[in-house]
Amino acid sequence: MDLHDLTAAYALDALDADEAEAYERHLGQCEECREQLAELNETATALAFGTVAAAPPERLRASILDAAAAERANVVPLLRRRWVARGLAVAAAAAACIVVGLVVSQSQSTQKQVFAVFVDRNGNATITATGLGSAPSGKTYEAWVIPATGPAKPAGLFSAGATTTVHLKGTVPPHASVAVTIERAGGATKPTTKPIFSATA
Amino acid sequence: MNRQLAHLSDEALVALAARSEQTALAELYDRYGRAAYGLALRVLRDQALAEDAVQDAFLAVWRTAARFVPERGKASTWILTLVHRRAVDTVRREQRRRADSLELAPEPATEGVEEDAWLRLQRERVQEALRHLPDAQREALELAYYGGFSQSELAERLGQPLGTIKSRMFTGLSRLREQLGEPGTEISWTSTT
Ligand SMILES: [Zn+2]
Repeated sequence: MDLHDLTAAYALDALDADEAEAYERHLGQCEECREQLAELNETATALAFGTVAAAPPERLRASILDAAAAERANVVPLLRRRWVARGLAVAAAAAACIVVGLVVSQSQSTQKQVFAVFVDRNGNATITATGLGSAPSGKTYEAWVIPATGPAKPAGLFSAGATTTVHLKGTVPPHASVAVTIERAGGATKPTTKPIFSATA
Repeated sequence: MNRQLAHLSDEALVALAARSEQTALAELYDRYGRAAYGLALRVLRDQALAEDAVQDAFLAVWRTAARFVPERGKASTWILTLVHRRAVDTVRREQRRRADSLELAPEPATEGVEEDAWLRLQRERVQEALRHLPDAQREALELAYYGGFSQSELAERLGQPLGTIKSRMFTGLSRLREQLGEPGTEISWTSTT
């Protein structure tokens, strides 16, 4: 059985349990299949929208939320605390292999800004920003990776949309920080303004 | 209904859910619960089973949100994949309904269903894309995705070699991808309240 050939069937959930298990093991070792699966899975999921979306019974929403609350009854939800001042980082929850830094900030405007940083075990990082307005005219947003020692490294320029996902150039070493500043159009080689956001992995 | 998070991205909501923010889970449900339930109902043809599949999937979102990696795909894809997998697992256990025939549930009627405008447009776009596929490829995709049939079941029931079924699925999905065009037509969520 050539496992490379199972990507489409896996994306459609059309493998038997043992085939799926073998394919998942293969996936751990095959970058090519991981990339192809990401594409085909997205397309397969489009089929979910190809059928009539009947409204679920009202009770389902409450049932899910009640069950969720019962599972984590002792945790204080983030949003019941005050929305925190701009730039204040909420301590990162270190999941098994992914570091997530999350910053929620609120400026004078009512728009809340949420930055989430995801760093995988290889140091590849993504920033997702929501509520970030466009950079001022003639300016750009610039992402930085700031190692524990040594200078900040430019990690990419971006402009903001309603939601912006930025894959950072380079990798984020342990204990490094990720920051975003506003720089002149074209970008800078080192940060020249105070970060509007920073988080430490 | 509390929609204070309505302007956040799906991915930001997942990050909040990972921090036990229940309103983030509620917002994800408000965005995708309907598509999720429609999908589960199509596969399972039973309201109670469809509800269970959707509930299991959203609780899986709640439990595993911290492991979600946005660079591997969109949050919506992740959520609906969880729903689909649960629906397919269930339908395969329900041998009785699939005992003899290779039968696909008819597309549910749209009459009497109050369809969300955006979901209707999505549905029409996907159905239009499916119509552009050769019949054999469309059949393979629909029987697998909506019918929950495995590739071996399809090979046996359609009387085709397994390799043929695999290539129909692969070519069908690749063509569907082209038909649907570039991804990135993201919906931007704005607060309506
Ligand atoms: Zn492979």
